[in-house]
Amino acid sequence: MPVPPALKAFALTPSTALRKRIPSARRWAVGLLFGLVLSACAQHPGTVRLDPSAQPMPGAKVLIMQPDVEVSELTVGGLLEPNAAWTAAAESNIDQALERVLAAQGARWVHLNPRGKLIRTPAVSQLVKLHGVVGASILIHDYGVGAPLLNKDGRFDWTLGKDAAILGKAYKADYALFVYFRDSFSSDARVALNVLTALVGAGVRGGQQVGFASLVDLRSGKIVWFNVMARGTGDLREAEAAVDASQVLLAELPF
Amino acid sequence: MVDLRPRLAPLLIGLLLTGCAASGNVQDIQPGERPDLETDEAGLWMKMDRAEADMRSSGKVVRDSQLQAYLEGIVCELAPDYCQDIRVYLVRNPGFNASMSPNGAMVVWTGLLLRCENEAQLAFVLGHELAHYIQRHSLKRWRDLRATTSGMAFFQFATAITGFGLVGDLATLGALGGVMAFSRDHEREADRIGLRLAQGAGYSGAEAAKIWDYLQREKDAADDGDGFIFFASHPPSDERRDTLAELATATAGEGRRGAEAFRRLTAGHRLAWLRDELRLRDYARMEVLTAHLLEAGDAPGAVHFLRGELHRLRGEEGDDGKAVAAYYAALKTRQAPAETYRSLGLVLWSMEKPREAQSAFRHYLRRRPKADDRAMVEDYINQLN
Repeated sequence: MPVPPALKAFALTPSTALRKRIPSARRWAVGLLFGLVLSACAQHPGTVRLDPSAQPMPGAKVLIMQPDVEVSELTVGGLLEPNAAWTAAAESNIDQALERVLAAQGARWVHLNPRGKLIRTPAVSQLVKLHGVVGASILIHDYGVGAPLLNKDGRFDWTLGKDAAILGKAYKADYALFVYFRDSFSSDARVALNVLTALVGAGVRGGQQVGFASLVDLRSGKIVWFNVMARGTGDLREAEAAVDASQVLLAELPF
Repeated sequence: MVDLRPRLAPLLIGLLLTGCAASGNVQDIQPGERPDLETDEAGLWMKMDRAEADMRSSGKVVRDSQLQAYLEGIVCELAPDYCQDIRVYLVRNPGFNASMSPNGAMVVWTGLLLRCENEAQLAFVLGHELAHYIQRHSLKRWRDLRATTSGMAFFQFATAITGFGLVGDLATLGALGGVMAFSRDHEREADRIGLRLAQGAGYSGAEAAKIWDYLQREKDAADDGDGFIFFASHPPSDERRDTLAELATATAGEGRRGAEAFRRLTAGHRLAWLRDELRLRDYARMEVLTAHLLEAGDAPGAVHFLRGELHRLRGEEGDDGKAVAAYYAALKTRQAPAETYRSLGLVLWSMEKPREAQSAFRHYLRRRPKADDRAMVEDYINQLN
């Protein structure tokens, strides 16, 4: 899935999320910043988009697509440095967190086999890519980043097309769940810079946790549910925190 | 607000010093080596592994198993020890470019193959890309960028609080220039190693200078005067050509050029790849490119046809006549695509030669009776009655 540049626009926090382990000497400044983050990072209400024509399916079986997760370190110069070890930890945490969240909402689940033959067939690999493009379009047009599409007439109306049924048949699943997470943590030097700039009243962005997810009806290919999140806290590298992030993102699933 | 300046100054200087530490001592990557999961290099690999997975199912990757095996064969000849570590992707794209990812995924554009005259030139460019991999240039560049931007962030902060914002901006420019120069050094190094690898595999070193020389000519002619993306961060190609020519003579030896196999495997793609180039609508560059290909002499039917197309589409003073001449030259080879007749008809029509135009359209329909645009071309013929 391509990284949608639009996602940045959902950053609801104005400035910083600080790394968890902060040297004690700077604690007072951190406390101040933490207050700012907490007041600003509350999940924006009404981020869920629902296809009004979708019918709830109690006890539905959800195919969990391979989550697109990347965890980076925010360098002092503002570069995001992808971290393979953190990402591997986050991936396995997210996998388990999704199971828990789905089970809690009364859904059954099955994982897509990322090394299986099916994912390598052109139809399915293109379906995953298509979802990346459609997802980016939803982010742009349904969340006020770009202009809304006039021919949608205010409806939430997106589809991956009939080929989605291939996945439904292969896994005997009713829905496919696509999840995208990006998490970043400030390097020690970035934290220091944040503190310094806060002292003189300027703002430097800290680490961010952003994500979006969509639920695809595998009979019709329609995206029936979509949600985004962006906040300055959380840590996908920790199992419990990954559950928390998944709960926030997967709130109000339409089962 | 507390006045922090006196206390901050030593801290900032300290931070600047650590921030500016260079990329350190990075060793060449060893055959079969994979980065440790905990390192920044593993992060770069992860990112590129994902991009490569996307690439594998891309419709832009050329599916020609013979050509694919040929390219992989050259890579393995150039660097036998690294043969297992490199994957080559031939991507359908106009323009001269190739790139090397830190994880061993090498991307070669079809526009690059279109411009090489023989295997020796291609081998040199592939060797150049291999050098980026072996020398870990991506990692070095990333570390350098990280260090430079770190220095910049602190410096801008320092100058902002002391009221010298402008100095900070100038320093930013200077630092970015530094990053660029760093990469140019990598390119020079890659040229040198690429030449060594190509000569080591028995190719003629003189060919290396020739490809840069040709690219310089094309660049000079270009409508926008821009070079190729490949040279955006590269030293000027005339400098590289001269250096390469010197190096090649210093290490003498004839070497092979391998024109035969190269032509056999690429000639069939000429028409499609040239059409891609035409879509860029850089007609001056297209003139140089088609002249270059005609000199080499393969697939002349396709090349003359595309030369006609460039004149027809440009439509400046004298272009109609040149287009017609090129189409006739294409037809003379007996290898021209059927569209040559259709294009010829269109130009003759605009030159107000209705009989000849009609005849050209009829030839087109005879050559391609099931053409998608048959109804339209029949309508042209009727209009010309």
